[in-house]
Amino acid sequence: MEGWSRREDERLLGGRGRYVADIAVPGCLDAVFVRSPIAHGLLREVRCDAAREVAGVSGAWSAADLSDLPSCAPSTAYLRDLPPVPYTGVARLSTKDAVAGREWPSLARDRVRYAGEAVAVVVGDDRYAAEDGAGLVTCRIDPLPAVVTPAESATDEVRLYDGLGNVAFQAAAGRPIEDHVWRRAAVVVEAAYRQQLLMPTPMECRTILAVPGDDRLTVWAGHQMPHRLRRELAATLGWPADRIRVVVPDTGGAFGSKSPTFPEFVVVAFLAVKLGRPVRWIEDRMESLLAATRGRGQDQRVRLAADAEGRLLAYELRIDADVGAYPHLAVGLPLQTALMATGPYLTPEVHATVRSMLTTTMVTYPYRGAGRPEATIALERTMDTLAHRLGIDPAELRRRNFIPPDAFPYTTPTGRCYDSGDYAAALDLALRTAGYDDWKAERERRRADPGALPLGIGVSCYVERSGGEPGALHEFAAVEAREDGSILATCGASATGQSHETTFAALVAESLGVDERRVLLVEGDTEELPEGVGSFASRSAQVAGGALKQACDLLVAAARERAAGLWELPVEEVAWSDGALHPARGASAAMGLAELVKVTGPLRVDGRFESGMAFPFGAHVAVAEVDPELGTVNVLRVVAVDDCGVALNPAAVRGQALGSAVQGIGQALYEGIPYDGDGVPMLPWGLLDYLIPTAAEVPPITIAETSTPSPVTPLGAKGAGESGCIGTPAAIVNAVADALRLDDPGLLQTPLTPDVVWRAAHTRRQEAPR
Amino acid sequence: MKPVPFDYVAPRTVRQAVEALGDPSREARVLAGGQSLIMEMRLRRATPRLVVDINRVGGLGRLTVSAQGTGGAQETGAHGTGGVLEVGALVRHAAFERPGAVPGPLGRLFALAAAEIAHPPIRARGTMAGSLAWAHPASEWCALAVALDAVLVLDAVDGARAVAARDFFLGPHLTAREARELLTLVRFPLLADGTGVAFAEHRRTCFSFAQVAVAAAVTLRDGVVEDARIGLANCADRPVRARLAERSLIGAEIGPPGARPAAGHPFARAGAVAAERDAGPVPEPYADPDYRRHVAAVLVRRALREAAADAERRPEGVDR
Repeated sequence: MEGWSRREDERLLGGRGRYVADIAVPGCLDAVFVRSPIAHGLLREVRCDAAREVAGVSGAWSAADLSDLPSCAPSTAYLRDLPPVPYTGVARLSTKDAVAGREWPSLARDRVRYAGEAVAVVVGDDRYAAEDGAGLVTCRIDPLPAVVTPAESATDEVRLYDGLGNVAFQAAAGRPIEDHVWRRAAVVVEAAYRQQLLMPTPMECRTILAVPGDDRLTVWAGHQMPHRLRRELAATLGWPADRIRVVVPDTGGAFGSKSPTFPEFVVVAFLAVKLGRPVRWIEDRMESLLAATRGRGQDQRVRLAADAEGRLLAYELRIDADVGAYPHLAVGLPLQTALMATGPYLTPEVHATVRSMLTTTMVTYPYRGAGRPEATIALERTMDTLAHRLGIDPAELRRRNFIPPDAFPYTTPTGRCYDSGDYAAALDLALRTAGYDDWKAERERRRADPGALPLGIGVSCYVERSGGEPGALHEFAAVEAREDGSILATCGASATGQSHETTFAALVAESLGVDERRVLLVEGDTEELPEGVGSFASRSAQVAGGALKQACDLLVAAARERAAGLWELPVEEVAWSDGALHPARGASAAMGLAELVKVTGPLRVDGRFESGMAFPFGAHVAVAEVDPELGTVNVLRVVAVDDCGVALNPAAVRGQALGSAVQGIGQALYEGIPYDGDGVPMLPWGLLDYLIPTAAEVPPITIAETSTPSPVTPLGAKGAGESGCIGTPAAIVNAVADALRLDDPGLLQTPLTPDVVWRAAHTRRQEAPR
Repeated sequence: MKPVPFDYVAPRTVRQAVEALGDPSREARVLAGGQSLIMEMRLRRATPRLVVDINRVGGLGRLTVSAQGTGGAQETGAHGTGGVLEVGALVRHAAFERPGAVPGPLGRLFALAAAEIAHPPIRARGTMAGSLAWAHPASEWCALAVALDAVLVLDAVDGARAVAARDFFLGPHLTAREARELLTLVRFPLLADGTGVAFAEHRRTCFSFAQVAVAAAVTLRDGVVEDARIGLANCADRPVRARLAERSLIGAEIGPPGARPAAGHPFARAGAVAAERDAGPVPEPYADPDYRRHVAAVLVRRALREAAADAERRPEGVDR
């Protein structure tokens, strides 16, 4: 399967992609949101009259003007069939308790809780007119103190909701660790880490186009979960779901940020129905940086205990997460970090606690990695410090503690059941690929040369989780054989750049033994498939792939049944091979699917497939040199070894590994949202201030893989999409700490901007001038 | 791109351009490379009623060297050769990347600086004059202009005037240029052969503005500093010529080439002076004033050392 070129490439790379903004609908209105410049305050008045006078503006409203505008609902509020699981918060991402008494109006009603919250909407004949109108909307807000950090939030001195505390969700994984365990340990490393807020930064920001007609609404949106969007919009509007069709056209990235129903989406759908006209909203970059969901956001405190040989005894992780102003979307997400706190090690006791704090910032939500990077970074940075203190090579320390390959399935103290793994194999391959021993020699050479820039090597091993959580581990798929010989395959996954058209078409072709060119994949259209789940949690290959494979098997079974009837043979005497039916005896000739359909009528099978949870893993190595005088970090090498079980399309997997490693580098070195004293993000020039790595910053990255097939899914495939975001950041930070020979892990808080690194280096020693 | 409504003219002559700019009711802005104006208009931070696109104005793309400048207030001295570089308003950043586009040490210095300006697409469009007129405190060209005594020629309906760079920059995005004036030409005195040059820039990514940048030009005679020019970018609310640091160097012995400057070395001392006395950094995210002063000291020291090495590689008369 190596060497496929992607089916999507001709369209997407040739500039012929069709995104929501490219869809021309006659009479379409453009919506512009007027946003609060203030982080927290009482909304006294919004005046839209001047906007309504602007030529080309057809309406301008605040919440006060739209008494029947529905509020935003919590994540999966309309999923009634979720089974009770031990940690409901992480499956639903929100809880009834967290949202009780806390309304999330689609347009701020009497209080604003983050800078960028929409206070009014203006629609016009085009975006220009709507922007002209929006510029004339005024609002009066009496400021309240902003609450930006979890520590500020925890005091409850300023409450975001009157009468309710700021802690919106609490949970724990594992059992509390007794004091004597810490006392008995040879070494206990304590540290505090900040996992900064990050922007997912897809190339295409959020988009929605709602077209009403015939008592129905067609919604075009860049989205990861079209069926969820349909269900939630229907519930918000009070409609049955079958009156809404959601279509996802080409979408320029999502990275986890495009799976919910946003306040803006509710407003657009509502206005389209109210006005009886198509309405669209195309978010621009400045808006996105202010008002799109962000990822990460945790203050962590850790304790890691080991004996003198470096065998881990206990690990404790306390998380205070800043989840933003509204608990509706992902107040439970930090629990993912707690559940994954154990990592790849045989630590006998692990205890992780979570408090989710409301802050006057936009909502925190999954961003590629979604809880697992935070777990990995906390543990892997601490592992390096432990190695330092014990005088054990960091790679060796990890080897001594890995869960061995024969221990699977392995249930961790934090309650995860890891399906399979060979962690040492991944680490060994990563070290070999990086040339670990050579770099160690180079590091020592430089340590002896006062004129050389210090160099460090960082290792990071991780286990992650793919497929989803109980209650959302299933997917729907359908396969149809058509008279013209083509195969139409469809599934509930929704690609936003992950090569599904190529990968899944090939999977179906291989499963049926037909030519790949005969297979057409359709995704992201609720009309094509009555039910679907979507693409998130690194689940598409594992879960939707499994669903397609199962549908193919069902199709073959159905075809054999039909042929058996046709040939008057028992079904076991009808063989299937190479995309055709073969009678075991008698005079009939072999028959292809197309012919069967011609003779017997349309043939389509639908199926629901349930996957287990899989636990991909890997080892990343980074080599970096540091200019201690300026604090500059120069990453010389990154090696990413990821094990996603069976790769359906190795080229696509490598592409994802590379992209996510680059995002991991962004988290380690560049990305962050500075807030001013009033709690407003300081990003006046957009991506000139929120820096992401560009092609010029990307170091040499080598992607390699081991393959440990998952026993919990028939294809053996585990998730692949989030590996770099999870594994790379700690490797980079560890490399910098190693270069500077820092013993205090708290000195390096990401992003490792030059000033942070300089201060860390400065604390250690006064550099001689070069 | 969601600007407010605006009119657009594309004049063919400087005369037509300044006439368009001269209408005070139009709040006109000049479009050259568009690397800042388009961004500001997209964000509606700039809301001109008229955009004057000078890209079709003849003669503004010229990059010429004349034996003697045709007026203006340029200084000569140990640095000057009497030759003057004239940069038209449409000369793009990329023009200076080509070795030999500008002769001598000035050309080497410009090539070093141009390579630090963002990405190639930006360098292909943006102009030196546009950068000077936008007056971002982190601009490489602005620091070079004040360090090298550039003169900016401003044309208006009622004639042209020449303004020295040191009088031109008044603050972030604030200059002596009046809205009705067009910056048509920038003059730089050429640097004498034998001048050593260096440019040191510190930024977070290739795409981002300098946290600090330093331009240095030094003239040495027998291991003694005869003249020094130091320009600092993003060390204050406007470009800075580090005059006190320069002064601390005149007459200083710099010792044998290649030696690591110790703490008391003139270059390290000049760095400290530049950072503590010439610079006045304002706070910005990821670079508070303490850090920026520290970086300025390091970069000045490094740039001077590189400039001295450059000078020693090219003794007088052997330049290029």
